[in-house]
Amino acid sequence: MLASVLLKTLRDQGRLLLGWAVSLALIVATYAAIWPSVQSQPSMSDFIDQMPEAFRSLFATSSADMSTPTGYIQVELLSFMGPIAVLIYAISTGAGAIGGEEDRHTMDLLLSNPVGRARVVVDKFLAMVLGTFLLAGVMGLSLVLEGNLADMVLPPDKVAAAMLHLALLGVVFGSLALALSAATGRTGLSRGIPAVLAVLAYIVNALAPLVDAFRRIQKASPFYQYVGQDPLRQGVAWDSVLVSGITIAVLVALAVPGFRRRDVAA
Amino acid sequence: MGAESMVQLAGLTKRFGRNTALDDVSLTIGPGEVFGYLGPNGAGKTTTIRLLMGMLRPSAGTANVLGLDSWRQSRDVHRLVGYVPGEPALYERLTGSQHVAYCSHLRHRDDRQLAAEVAARLDLDLDRPARTLSRGNRQKLAIVLAVMSRPRLLVLDEPTSGIDPLVQQVFHSILREHTADGGSALFSSHVLGEVERVADRIGVVRQGKLVAVERLQDLAARSLHRVRARFGEEVSRAEFAGVPGVRDLQVDGRTLSCNAPQAALDALLKLVSAREVEDFECSEAPLEEMFLGYYGMEQHSGSPSARKVETAAGRTGHAG
Repeated sequence: MLASVLLKTLRDQGRLLLGWAVSLALIVATYAAIWPSVQSQPSMSDFIDQMPEAFRSLFATSSADMSTPTGYIQVELLSFMGPIAVLIYAISTGAGAIGGEEDRHTMDLLLSNPVGRARVVVDKFLAMVLGTFLLAGVMGLSLVLEGNLADMVLPPDKVAAAMLHLALLGVVFGSLALALSAATGRTGLSRGIPAVLAVLAYIVNALAPLVDAFRRIQKASPFYQYVGQDPLRQGVAWDSVLVSGITIAVLVALAVPGFRRRDVAA
Repeated sequence: MGAESMVQLAGLTKRFGRNTALDDVSLTIGPGEVFGYLGPNGAGKTTTIRLLMGMLRPSAGTANVLGLDSWRQSRDVHRLVGYVPGEPALYERLTGSQHVAYCSHLRHRDDRQLAAEVAARLDLDLDRPARTLSRGNRQKLAIVLAVMSRPRLLVLDEPTSGIDPLVQQVFHSILREHTADGGSALFSSHVLGEVERVADRIGVVRQGKLVAVERLQDLAARSLHRVRARFGEEVSRAEFAGVPGVRDLQVDGRTLSCNAPQAALDALLKLVSAREVEDFECSEAPLEEMFLGYYGMEQHSGSPSARKVETAAGRTGHAG
């Protein structure tokens, strides 16, 4: 596990990833456990229907029908808890990628080996991508397996599509954090800016049906790429995947020269 | 010398904002040479070293290792160089052996054998995680990691601070083996005593400027003698002040003390013997004291005990 910067970074994250994976499986298990009682309470859907429209847009997905497993998971997990968990992991991993190693003063040790700075950036990026996809995978697997136990049957292919979009959402903001970390070495800033932008992107996408200005820029929001085309019902939206992929590629392409041109903190 | 030289710094300058940490430093280190790089903390030693390692981008000038530019070709440079950073930071959860394995992989070499040998000579246990190591043992591990790939150049930022004298001797012999094979070293310290046994030449950096480069041999030839005399009568300072080369002259009633280079001893002795002498003492001053006298490296007024004073400031961030 010490054969490359990528493997070493994954090794460092081992316990962290295990903790996240267990937590996500438990969260999904909780939702699955509550499902039977939600299903037998049609008033839940009425409750959501009665919410003010802005409120409903923000905290639920407007069209969701809470009496089906798909609608329930969409409202309860995919519109809030899932993205928050994946974003926290991806942003903090991205921000710590370069800046964290500088904060711990180990960057001099790492770079004194014949390892290019581009290699370090790319390996740290790949570790963040693998970690994010692993967590989304665990969440998807939990949804299908634990859902089956609780009679909350979800179509595995659609769950996989939703998880792909969820992972890409995380990687987009994680890559932004990594690019900032590479260019500045400042972990706090690299965590803070993507977090704020993620909240803004969320609001833009959620309130787009109500606010004209947001509707015009809605498709630029990574949250639109994530849930805008309803992957849990419609499957993978390849155009959104492409937009996310390009965004990620541009951010990594900026991260490399960002790190190459600056001083490394001692 | 050109590409023949191991290290070549030319007009190397580094500014952090408005603060000039290193100002127009030029020097050359040849094959097989150990260059002692001396200066008080915060003078620019660490900045020089981190420029040479390609961690910092020069504001002006260049640093070369065997003709390769430290900034633009840092990967190639790192293949030739072993580096001991000033404050050796390690991966706290990894053991010594794991550090060796990781760095070996990154270098695409298998250096475990030599690493184990060096660790044994330094009396370092490679099986302990870095977080449990004392400061001295961390330093030893950093040395193991630097020398295990048999680099052409060793860049050592205060490598022996925190290491006890016996182990320092082992380190010195490792360094001598390295130079015997044609390897060079840049060895920084804030104490001359640390490098005087191994360095061929010494450079002194103060406030970002390289103020002197001396061969250690020449320095020794110019070494000062400490002269003390007690007279049977009162003497005046004016009688002795005229001797050329005499330094730190103090006359207090019937006693005289001063430092004098070899060339001044004859004139001084004749003046002293013109008086009634009760006691006379002449001894060679330690190299260090003389060196401090020349270049004002002392951080506190004159007391030799102050020379080991190490402040935490100046070692952090960009101050070095």
